Amino acid sequence: MKRRSFIALTAVTGTSATLASCGNPEHQLIRFIPDEEHVPGVAEWKPSLCPLCSAGCGLTVRIMEGDAEIIRDGQTGLIKMGLAKKLEGNPAHPISQGKLCARGQAAIQVTYHPDRLTHPLKRSGARGSGQFQEISWDEATAQLIAQLDGLATAGTPRALAFLHGPSASHRSDLVAAFLDRFGAPPALAYELFGDEVLRRANLVSFGRLQLPTFDFASSRYVISFGADFLGTWNSPVAQSAAYGRMRQGRPGVRGTFVQLEPRMSQTGASADEWIPIKPGTEGVLALGLAQVMMAANLRPADAAGRAGTIIEGWNRGLPDYTPPDVERTTGVTAARIERLARALADQRPAVAVVSGAPLAHTNGLFTAIAINALNALLGSVGEPGGVSFMPQIEPAAGPRTAADRQPGDAPRTLSSWAAAILGGNPSPVQVALIDGTNPVFASPGSWRIRDALLKVPFLASFGSFLDETSMLADLVLPDHSFLESWTDGRPESGAATAVATLAPPAMRPLHQTRAMPDVLLQVAGRLARPLNPPLPWQTFEEMLMASYAALPAPSAEADTWTTAQQQGGWWGGAANVASPAAGSRVPAASRVPAVADRSQAAPRRYAAPQFDGDAAQYPFHFLPYASQAFLDGSLAHLPWLQEMPDVISTAMWCSWVEINTQTAARLGIAEGDVVEIGSAHGTLRAPALVSPGIAPDVIAMPVGQGHESYTRYASGRGENPIRILAPVTEPETGALAWAATRVRVSRIGRGDSELILFAGGMREHPEHER
Amino acid sequence: MSTDSSGTFFRWAAAILIAAAGVAACRRADAPPPGSVFTPARATVGAAVNDFLNIRPDPQQPFPFPHSTHVAQKIMCTEYCHESVVKGPIAGLPSVKTCMICHESIATDRPLIKTVADYARRGVDISWQRVYGYAAESHVRFNHAPHIRAKVECTNCHGKIGEQTVAQRNVDLNMGFCVDCHKSRQAPNECLTCHF
Repeated sequence: MKRRSFIALTAVTGTSATLASCGNPEHQLIRFIPDEEHVPGVAEWKPSLCPLCSAGCGLTVRIMEGDAEIIRDGQTGLIKMGLAKKLEGNPAHPISQGKLCARGQAAIQVTYHPDRLTHPLKRSGARGSGQFQEISWDEATAQLIAQLDGLATAGTPRALAFLHGPSASHRSDLVAAFLDRFGAPPALAYELFGDEVLRRANLVSFGRLQLPTFDFASSRYVISFGADFLGTWNSPVAQSAAYGRMRQGRPGVRGTFVQLEPRMSQTGASADEWIPIKPGTEGVLALGLAQVMMAANLRPADAAGRAGTIIEGWNRGLPDYTPPDVERTTGVTAARIERLARALADQRPAVAVVSGAPLAHTNGLFTAIAINALNALLGSVGEPGGVSFMPQIEPAAGPRTAADRQPGDAPRTLSSWAAAILGGNPSPVQVALIDGTNPVFASPGSWRIRDALLKVPFLASFGSFLDETSMLADLVLPDHSFLESWTDGRPESGAATAVATLAPPAMRPLHQTRAMPDVLLQVAGRLARPLNPPLPWQTFEEMLMASYAALPAPSAEADTWTTAQQQGGWWGGAANVASPAAGSRVPAASRVPAVADRSQAAPRRYAAPQFDGDAAQYPFHFLPYASQAFLDGSLAHLPWLQEMPDVISTAMWCSWVEINTQTAARLGIAEGDVVEIGSAHGTLRAPALVSPGIAPDVIAMPVGQGHESYTRYASGRGENPIRILAPVTEPETGALAWAATRVRVSRIGRGDSELILFAGGMREHPEHER
Repeated sequence: MSTDSSGTFFRWAAAILIAAAGVAACRRADAPPPGSVFTPARATVGAAVNDFLNIRPDPQQPFPFPHSTHVAQKIMCTEYCHESVVKGPIAGLPSVKTCMICHESIATDRPLIKTVADYARRGVDISWQRVYGYAAESHVRFNHAPHIRAKVECTNCHGKIGEQTVAQRNVDLNMGFCVDCHKSRQAPNECLTCHF
């Protein structure tokens, strides 16, 4: 179109548009008197805590004056207030060190999400129908109190259940204290990609029920067994920063990194050497490496101490794990095993890392214990460049153990908890409270969590969004966002010193929400039969203040509470933690006594992993993995993360199935074709992504999409691979063995652009090959 | 590429055409909301035309605030009502809380003060409209604080506020105005001083 005709057209359409649009008076909102004073146009930075995973990165939040639309006394209007604009890592924080991952950057969208719940909700239709009506906070808390009073009157306080996420914090301490004094069993923590197996292994090997911290920055050689430590596992920000220093931070020394896994992860893509390995045989490889080192006298067998002797045959030099034996089991060549073992022994400090799929098999605990033994043999436990355990601060309410269980209680794993409810008549759980976990989405369909929750007569959720679990609730009591409330956390790993992150509210609440800890305290104070003994705090802030004031002060002049609020937490050197001068209960070295459970002392031997599904009928291993953007799916509601291209495939806004190039050719599957994945427990359809970075007998799929209900951005998008997983667990911990399902694959047809890739193919080809 | 003159001609021709239609149909077009991101989209064509020609409606204040009375009482702009002018880029409009600091006890019987007290009682702020300010498309970032530090009088840019009741835009803050003053005071005059 020529410029002239464009202008003419604009004039004509413009005139008609003008005539149509006149007479609409501008909609003007009233302005409320602001509650706080800010200098307009000048940023303030306040500390906060990233809530999106349990790494517990300290944040700094940029606050500027802005207009927010709020409802006050039933009237909508504008108010000037300090609004969070940007999140960054807190430079003073020992874990985040001023850095933040892409997920953390997107956490700001939690607060401003258009589908965030703004009021308490009461169910108005059938359970699970998703029909709710807004109610007042008075009515909402009265309903909850009535339910709890009902349990107390009936003499069944143990029929109260609390389900929450995994993080250790004063929030979870408060829940524990409340349940304890109410007479209910301890809360049940559920996380799909939880690390119970690794924690248990660390207890068995080293006497620490805790996730490890790695000093990559001083390492010279890192061998990782399936651990996506740069992407999604443990403390990715701290680990990425340390990894960067290992590779480029020491003049003349560039640490070597080897990754073993059946599917190339983001972490695997950074490795010097990437080795595909048969699923579930990682522990055998670790022992194969140890065997070579001991046989060649590269390391003394007794260097491993207890961590080694608990493995059968260790004291005899692991005769069953010679390189040819290991090659048969793992598929990694004997020559390669020899070479890796010698490199590990030569280039110390060296450290082995394990997590993810290797531990999600029926023999996961053995795998973790084998890798612990390898680390012990390398002399890297508690040493610079090795693996260590972060000093922990003991929780205010005192540690709770499984010993608190009583005979009639619902069991302590989610699957058995659900089975007890479904099998009981009446249900052993009468009232369930849910906070920060979405088990309906993040558990296998065969566990029947949805049915179990529907059988619980009263379900209340503290969620900020109507996810699959909150949809089943009778009552939703929406929490403040993390930026609007007091937050704290005691990270389990990621730094060399003890850390307690604390942050006051960075901004005022936008909606008619209330902080969950304050609601719980309010409810506790108004129960017909008071808690015994009553909780000593009126507000969550009081609880935090009492607890932080007891921590050792940074200096004689400064008080801990004020300093912690200003810098975003409390962290102390080992000397500080051990100091008895403060006279507080805090400086505990660990959350469990450093003595391993004696019942675990029987020698361990390798057992081949058990898979669900017949190998002939279901020829492929199914590997669901934590998505770079959504982790276990809890972040799929954030649009920035939906549109963030996956690091390996560049896919976004969709689900996909990764298939090896040769396998795809054999099955006649082309990139973008819709394929059906079937296990013995269900089927799903998603577009295929043909990739050379995956073993030929493995089918991988990211977890996170496939929400039925989780805001406008995630609902009805893609498929949820967790749904078709078999209910196989690691026997000692009861943790879901999410990599133990076999599947079959069949091509359905040409995809209709369901696979959305940001870039082109997976590999770059030279010009003449295109 | 078309020459500048023909481009300008067509621009004006189109503008006049649309203006005729727009002005005839709508008496007063809505100004774009202050501080919003620049976009060429406007609610009405009339608004687009006014925007194009930099015609802005006079601000309609909720009631006539007498600047003159306050200045006569030696109430310094920068100390009481627009105090963020010394701290940051934006002068800021005082909330009704600021009014009530004095008017809790001063001149409480005057009808306008009663109106102000009534706002405060209802918890509603007075929605003052901005009088000065740059359109987003000028890509100017103005910071008050350094001008106050350089002892530029308020009246330099805002006219004789002390003689006005409701503030009026009677100084045209165009680029020439800024550059003249910067030159005369040997203040930096590079493009990036203001356009960044």
